[in-house]
Amino acid sequence: MAMAKTLLQKINKLYAVNAKKKKYSFSLPLEDRIKVDKKEFDIKLKEDDKLGTYILWKNRKYPVEVVFKRQNKYEILLNGVSYTFTIETPTSMKRLRFISRKKGSSDKEVIKAPMPGKIIDVLVQEDAEIRKGEPILILEAMKMQNEIQSTVAGKITAVHVKANDSVMKDEILIEIKKK
Amino acid sequence: MDTNGRYFKAFEKRVEALKGQFNSDRAKRQHAKGKLTAWERIELLFDADTFEEVDAFVTPEAQQFSFGTVEKSYGDGVIVGHGKVDNRLVFCYAQDFTIMGGSLGVVHARKIAKIQEMALKMGAPIIGLIDSGGARIQEGIASLAGYATIFHNNIHASGIIPQISVIMGPAAGGAVYSPALTDFVFMTNHTSYMFVTGPNVVREVLNEDVTSDELGGAEVHARKSGVAQMIFEDEENTILGLKKFLSYIPSNNVDNPPYVESNVATPDINERLRDIVPDDPNKPYDVKDVIELLVDKNSFYEISEQFAPNIVVGFARLKGKTIGIVANQPKVLAGTLDINSAVKGARFIRFCDAFNIPILTLEDVPGFLPGLDQEHFGIIRHGAKLLYAYNEATVAKITVILRKSYGGAYIVMNSKNLGGDFNFAWPTAEIAVMGPDGAVAVLYRKELEKSEDPDAMKKELVRTYREEVANPFVADEKGYIDEVIDPAITRMKIVSAFEALQNKWVKAPARKHGNIPL
Amino acid sequence: MKIKRLLIANRGEIAVRIIKSAKALGIETVVIKTSAEPSAIYVREADIVHDDTDDVSEIPVFLDIERLIEIALEHEVDAVHPGYGFLAENAYFAQKCMDNRLMFIGPSPDAIYKLGNKTIARQIALRNKVPMATGSRGTIRSTDEAIKVAERIGYPVIVKAASGGGGRGMRIAWNEEELPQMLRLAQNEAEKAFNDPNVFIEKYIANPKHIEFQILGDTKGDVIHLGERECSIQRKHQKLLEEAPSSALSPELREEMGEVAVRLAKAVRYHSAGTVEFLLDSNGEYYFMEMNTRIQVEHPVTELITGVDLIEKQIRIAAGEPLGLTQDDIKLNGWAIECRINAEDVQAGFAPSPGMIEKLSFPDMDFVRVDSGIEEGSAIASNFDSMIAKLIVSGENRDEAIANCRKALDKVWVKGIKTTIPFFKLLMKHPVFVGGDFTTGFIENDLEQYHEAKAEEEQVAAWFATKLFVEEKTADSDATVDFEQGKKMDPWLLNKRLNQF
Repeated sequence: MAMAKTLLQKINKLYAVNAKKKKYSFSLPLEDRIKVDKKEFDIKLKEDDKLGTYILWKNRKYPVEVVFKRQNKYEILLNGVSYTFTIETPTSMKRLRFISRKKGSSDKEVIKAPMPGKIIDVLVQEDAEIRKGEPILILEAMKMQNEIQSTVAGKITAVHVKANDSVMKDEILIEIKKK
Repeated sequence: MDTNGRYFKAFEKRVEALKGQFNSDRAKRQHAKGKLTAWERIELLFDADTFEEVDAFVTPEAQQFSFGTVEKSYGDGVIVGHGKVDNRLVFCYAQDFTIMGGSLGVVHARKIAKIQEMALKMGAPIIGLIDSGGARIQEGIASLAGYATIFHNNIHASGIIPQISVIMGPAAGGAVYSPALTDFVFMTNHTSYMFVTGPNVVREVLNEDVTSDELGGAEVHARKSGVAQMIFEDEENTILGLKKFLSYIPSNNVDNPPYVESNVATPDINERLRDIVPDDPNKPYDVKDVIELLVDKNSFYEISEQFAPNIVVGFARLKGKTIGIVANQPKVLAGTLDINSAVKGARFIRFCDAFNIPILTLEDVPGFLPGLDQEHFGIIRHGAKLLYAYNEATVAKITVILRKSYGGAYIVMNSKNLGGDFNFAWPTAEIAVMGPDGAVAVLYRKELEKSEDPDAMKKELVRTYREEVANPFVADEKGYIDEVIDPAITRMKIVSAFEALQNKWVKAPARKHGNIPL
Repeated sequence: MKIKRLLIANRGEIAVRIIKSAKALGIETVVIKTSAEPSAIYVREADIVHDDTDDVSEIPVFLDIERLIEIALEHEVDAVHPGYGFLAENAYFAQKCMDNRLMFIGPSPDAIYKLGNKTIARQIALRNKVPMATGSRGTIRSTDEAIKVAERIGYPVIVKAASGGGGRGMRIAWNEEELPQMLRLAQNEAEKAFNDPNVFIEKYIANPKHIEFQILGDTKGDVIHLGERECSIQRKHQKLLEEAPSSALSPELREEMGEVAVRLAKAVRYHSAGTVEFLLDSNGEYYFMEMNTRIQVEHPVTELITGVDLIEKQIRIAAGEPLGLTQDDIKLNGWAIECRINAEDVQAGFAPSPGMIEKLSFPDMDFVRVDSGIEEGSAIASNFDSMIAKLIVSGENRDEAIANCRKALDKVWVKGIKTTIPFFKLLMKHPVFVGGDFTTGFIENDLEQYHEAKAEEEQVAAWFATKLFVEEKTADSDATVDFEQGKKMDPWLLNKRLNQF
């Protein structure tokens, strides 16, 4: 697939953008060095039987692995902490800005299932006013009942689940209009 | 010819004028919407310097009404042509939203129809990059006639050459039916949408306020309607995804799919396969873990990932050769078959069958999803599609029963007597008319009612049922499956089975066409 | 009475821990191998393995009293150690063991029953002048009754499962509107978790410290305490970190609370190891919460500062030996901290994160003790608890213990699964934790995020993600799509295909 190569050849930069839209830029071809506070450090990806894949950086070893990957989205577990990035080209970076501008003013908050499980109880109804942190439903996963709380204050506009429903991870449970 | 002469000058002037048409102003307008221009898309798709444009200089039909104006432009808002993708001939049309909103005029439609006909003659895939406001109102009914021709060509070529639609902007009204008629629909999230009636009409008629994205955005079509099979976050990834997709499919219905050697070896025997299916029959697992270990490394390309996720379908490679995979997903709804999953599976199987792609079925299905909704919306009718598609398919078909295989769902999922060429089962398989709990409840209802310790009795009966009825060894001995195999050697088994089936041929009965329960 | 052979009715790290003490005492151990984890460490370490992998019943064997007794009799054991969780606090199981002439390593069925039922335990505590939060006299029968009781004691109130424990079946109601719903939820959860929907209501003490006292009693009636454990670092009533001693207790308060704990134990003629849990509010007032009649997960911190092997003591006491220790023998030396390394995603609010542990190694340092029943290659299944290991670190004093803990956490190597380690790293540097003045509300109130995140490490992760992207795109572009090979068809097939159309 010769064209994919030319995509990378044509551009001289890639961006890793995290969930909070912070971006890290890397020049192509990608070097085994990164710049921190204007100083450059060597970074090496290594692997051995005892440790598995790890990164050697500033004389320390960091366990690293991919938790999830989909298209250009990567969830990386480095030193036990998970980081999610999308890798963007200069063109898709522009597009990202355009889309976030377009969506910027949205006052809709969607509560998604943090894990697969079964809905035990829905504690709110449509049109109810709720505070931030108020429990909105109980989700049972791995025999534990987890209270799902509202992340914002506002008014419930839609309830998509009812008791005894099974839900998948990231399934939309409830929509809230932010105050 | 004198390059300073009159003839050459006139020629050069036109070329310059055409170039000028795609000036940076138009590109900027498109980029400001987060989209690429039609030419940028074409450049991304085709191998460098291989795209040849056809009918670049045609101009729109002379205007017949005084209602509105038609912009004079070369090409009439669509670029059509052919080129090489991975060194294979592919035809393409790309609508240019910067010219009259990519609206479909008579000439515009004629160009698309022309390239469709060429693709069919040449037996090569055709790709539509769609970014159009719809029919050109100024040209009246003539533009609707244009759509009809395009639809006709779609249907005419169906099952002969692969047709793929990539939605990269709006596709509204009648325009949505060309993508709907093609084999696969790709969409780009946030900047593309498809609907028959737009948000304005919905607002006027139903007084419901919806955005284009909510009504027919990529997410909606990927998750809810199932109209779009593949969605991507941006246009570059959409086109890269499309190119990867093309590497799995042949050029036409006589051809075989391409061969792609994997650069990483996949072990033929893998003991990790033994650990994926839990011994507890009620525990879910991810069937994609099984798929990943069976096929060439990183070769699984999932289709309709978000729609009806209780069935997993997609392309993959076995020793470099494309196969289609249909697998129940125990992780979602316990892997039961419902209306959406039956339709999703059936359509995929029919594509594979039309284009000589052998099918591997991985089965773990407790049955059809019970419920009022399912029955009332016609699970009977829709479930029959899957059954029909499986049986009608004449390509090589192999089934591996991983765990549950009960009742009607057992028959449907490419059972031996429905035409499975090779049917294997893992030792964890449970093959029977119904699950142990159901069977015990039906056959021993009265005894259980009378029993002093019904729980213990039920437990004992379930145990007996598993030992005597619901296990793969019984089916094996009676010939309803070909062999019970060690999960670790599954890849080896299916590779050799597909090899043996390489020259499989079944003569289709002489008929106009079968009557699949649509 | 001498114990020669012992059945461990449990799995995981506590089974391994019991095997260790039993071995030191020259006792043979019997464990049960289940199909869920046939190659677990505890199976390997034990002397005799009962193979139960063929079992298909729905109840796990560790909860199946009849079967456990059968297994114990089959292997002719003298005693049964229940560990914690499962049947450790089941009076019926203890009674069944005794009925079959098996020593139950734990208190008497009577003590288990009385202390296990929180409404009875409250009455015993009341009689023995153990300070308690005001609450309902017994089980709450109706919503009306709940509202009445709550009005009497004042909001906020906490609804608790009578047979509860481990933080399950507890709900807080801040006002009358919330109460009916919370009551329903607590009952529902209690029914599910403990098979007993009975609940009672207590005044909710906001943001207290959770202080518990380890006690030991023998069958002759001698009872001593081994100091306290501080377990205030918890989330939704699940303990995450425990330490001993607590920086909140003066020697006088320690003595006073210890005496109360011993008094309560004596009131039910308690023997074996047990734990009396208190809430300590900001005014230094303490309230009895419950008594756990088993060995606790967090027992190692007490062992490290007292030098007493609690499991060994449990076994000896069960065999009828006297305590061999007086209250004066118990001296608290140094400081110990236990971090529960769980398979949880702290960035997703401590959501369970099951999976396969690809790599796992702990530092070999003299101030580190690791109790674990899990090793590299094990799967953290969703049907057992999420604990991977307990990392127990000691030091001369609290500051040193924290410093040591930091060093140890940096050296733990885990791959394949998300764990609570990033949380502990954050905790060890958090001024409130380091200062020692924290309450059970700490995680919910004082923390913005639950993991230590370093900007630099994020950049390293970003580089890694970018590298993967580049590698994938390069691999895609390097793959050669060969259309010619497909065209080479067997003439038989080609002929048939062409003739069809």
